[in-house]
Amino acid sequence: MADLDKTDILIGIASYNNAKTIDHVVRAVDAGLAKYFSDKKAVIINSDGSSKDGTQDIVKTAALDHAAMFLTYPVYPAHRISMPYNGIPGKGSAFKLIFQKAVEMQADACCVIDADLRSITPEWIELLLSPIIKGGFDFAAPLYSRHKYDGTITNSIVYPMTRALYGQRVRQPIGGDFGFSGRLAEFYLKQDVWETHVARFGIDIWMTTEAIANGFKVCQTFLGAKIHDPKDPGSDLSDMLVQVVVTLFNLTERHYQKWKEIKDSKEVPTCGFRYHVGLEPVKVNIGKMLDIFRTGISNLKPLWTEIMGQGDFGEIEKIGGLSDREFRFPAGLWTGVVYDYAIAYHKKMMSSEHLIKSLTPLYLGRAASFMMEVEEMEHHKVEEEIEKVCLEFENQKDYLINNWR
Amino acid sequence: MENFINVLLDPLKDFWTGFIVFVPKFIAMVIIFAGGVVIAWGLKLLLLRTLLAANFDTWADKAGLTAIIRKGDIWGKPSDLSGKILYWFIVIIFLMIGLNALQIQTIDKVVSQFFLYLPRIFSALLIFVIGYVIAGFISRAVLIAAVNSGYHYAKILAEAVRLMLIVFILAMVLEQLSVAPSIVVAAFSIMFGGVVIALAIAFGVGGIDAARRIIEKGSEEKQEAEKDVEHL
Repeated sequence: MADLDKTDILIGIASYNNAKTIDHVVRAVDAGLAKYFSDKKAVIINSDGSSKDGTQDIVKTAALDHAAMFLTYPVYPAHRISMPYNGIPGKGSAFKLIFQKAVEMQADACCVIDADLRSITPEWIELLLSPIIKGGFDFAAPLYSRHKYDGTITNSIVYPMTRALYGQRVRQPIGGDFGFSGRLAEFYLKQDVWETHVARFGIDIWMTTEAIANGFKVCQTFLGAKIHDPKDPGSDLSDMLVQVVVTLFNLTERHYQKWKEIKDSKEVPTCGFRYHVGLEPVKVNIGKMLDIFRTGISNLKPLWTEIMGQGDFGEIEKIGGLSDREFRFPAGLWTGVVYDYAIAYHKKMMSSEHLIKSLTPLYLGRAASFMMEVEEMEHHKVEEEIEKVCLEFENQKDYLINNWR
Repeated sequence: MENFINVLLDPLKDFWTGFIVFVPKFIAMVIIFAGGVVIAWGLKLLLLRTLLAANFDTWADKAGLTAIIRKGDIWGKPSDLSGKILYWFIVIIFLMIGLNALQIQTIDKVVSQFFLYLPRIFSALLIFVIGYVIAGFISRAVLIAAVNSGYHYAKILAEAVRLMLIVFILAMVLEQLSVAPSIVVAAFSIMFGGVVIALAIAFGVGGIDAARRIIEKGSEEKQEAEKDVEHL
């Protein structure tokens, strides 16, 4: 264990019942380290939420035949440590343990990888760590090719709002796989957020926003396609939305003095060779999404009127009356709704959980509208549509600032 | 004849004597009550100014007190609410003291009973306020969860839950106030038990097929939706 006191690179894999995929992830990480960072000391930390399916055993035994893969053997073969984390069960708590280990081992560069990935290759390790080791960046956010129906919270709320507030175009702020420097890990660890939604799905937006808002050098790195195991069916959409959006709004509160001064947005440096890959088709049930949206209109009128005012609610009612085929939820109206929710959260109109859960039908309405709009579009056209949403968020930012007090 | 006049005048004299004794007491009662209203108004004003100076509303917002009040559908400022509670409390106390000044045996008894009863009123009030807030909170949670599950009659369901909780709270309040406790408990048990049995029968007998369809549809949709769409 003596040679584990210090490391150059630390790779964190947060897992919970990922026996099906973690062998592939660990071997890809191992190969990536051997291929691109064979002269550096590296440790793979598996931070596990007490899996019941033998995930931890697989991490320890996953084997890579270096002789078959490489002409030269790595100078320092990567150590593997698998340990359960403490605290609130969730991805954020798993990451906290990874940050602790990164600080203890004085790692220069770190990255975190989801344990359910099926599309990870050894190149991901190089793409996430090189910007930190060679490029002098503190934070590397992922950039993926994703199906146009995937990542709807990212496309409709998190990316447009983060970009409008903090002025940096990080396309996947809640991608899940990040590279970061040792000093950023130390910064993360010092923050007192581990009893909040950050300990769960809020961790991704928190890491990205804190890196941007605190002036760390940020870039994004193109990783290719993101294909992963289906999400845990028990993880309810509303819960996920609450954890992400509450964290986003908390950060909006925290960094008000910074974001109120920022106008427009700019590209962040992008590493990696960008290309578009064929993606697995995604089935969606637009009828059900619209049904929930309309159920919201007929049942949540007093609550929504209180949050967004009679004017915007009138618009929502109007589009709710359209047929499925004609249904469109304009980006401008959606932007107003999200900002009204941010203001309502700031003014503590009601419990945060109720507030954000009441956003779910509106979010589903907007997501359904977006899916119908882009149904026939190619990838680059879809990105243009997302760009329009982002510009709406930037253009209406004054409304948020003026109503914040 | 003189006797007859005395018979006629004595009750009038008694009434007059009683009236003469009563009027000052009545005036005292009115003065005490009016004074109480003025004192209550003054103390309310003082409390409001103190709370405003101390930024009580901001503190209440930050401490989550405002959110708790909002959960109970009360939309005034926390400082206003505190002022109103203090005002009515003082007014009621002075009303009781004023009635005591009448020195009517029955009223005296009622007043002394009122003061003995005061702790029960306090605890009943506390149960009602906390219960009302919790009922509002739970009802809204049910409403939002039902809407997010696509249940079309979410509002009716939430109102039914709210009504049941309010009835439950009122039963607790009446029990606390010792208002016919045995009848209240019996009535509540019969009603609550009746509702539960009715629901059990309705679901068990009438809704077997519907329940099966809903569960099957729900699990299919959940599998489809959760497996395919990655919202993050």
